[in-house]
Amino acid sequence: MPKYMFVYRGCENCHEPEEMQKFMQLWMDWIQVGEEAGWLIDKGDGLEPDGAIVNPDLSITDGPFAESKELVGGYSMVEAANIAAAIELAKGSPIAVSGGTVEVRALANVEMANE
Amino acid sequence: MDRFMFLQRGGCEDPPELTAQQMEAGMKAWMDWVKNGTEEGWLVDPGSPLSKTGVVVNPDMSVTDGPFAESKEFVGGYTVVEAPDMAAACELAKQTIKLAGGGKIEVRKFANAGE
Repeated sequence: MPKYMFVYRGCENCHEPEEMQKFMQLWMDWIQVGEEAGWLIDKGDGLEPDGAIVNPDLSITDGPFAESKELVGGYSMVEAANIAAAIELAKGSPIAVSGGTVEVRALANVEMANE
Repeated sequence: MDRFMFLQRGGCEDPPELTAQQMEAGMKAWMDWVKNGTEEGWLVDPGSPLSKTGVVVNPDMSVTDGPFAESKEFVGGYTVVEAPDMAAACELAKQTIKLAGGGKIEVRKFANAGE
């Protein structure tokens, strides 16, 4: 079964205190459903807004990048029959229903390299 | 030890034509990197490149089709490492760039949400 990465962006109201609790509950429910059904292979995590970029010349640009709405806020990994099925799973994600976007990307096959 | 995600930024715009020999050497370098990282314990997940196409699910449940390869925010692949701090994680990213002969890596600390 193909694996897909969900790349989360721009979930601004997830960080409002009053929304946070509601969001955490939705998130935990979603994880439970996905793990029981077997399609959630890695619930993933949020990523802290500060970070660094290592450039091709090995120089380092420090974050934070928090002002960018393009900032990757977190990720999960799912398994689905095809991209259409993965999109349906993404629609159920608490990120999408909380005002963020979910980018759905197939993992390129590198099993060979991992052997 | 903290976990960090490497997000490879930008696609390989002009992939060089490789001979079978160069490809084999590249694959071997990659496998050695995975082996070293696993043995030394800092490589949590060698990760994977992500396919160039994909979709974005928006908060209103509309779906925007990719590809996004032209975007500078394009995530080309990911890797998960473990390091004592951001500076050490950046050193591992430098190693990766040297091995790959180029590229740009965004280094982001895991938020450990819900842990």
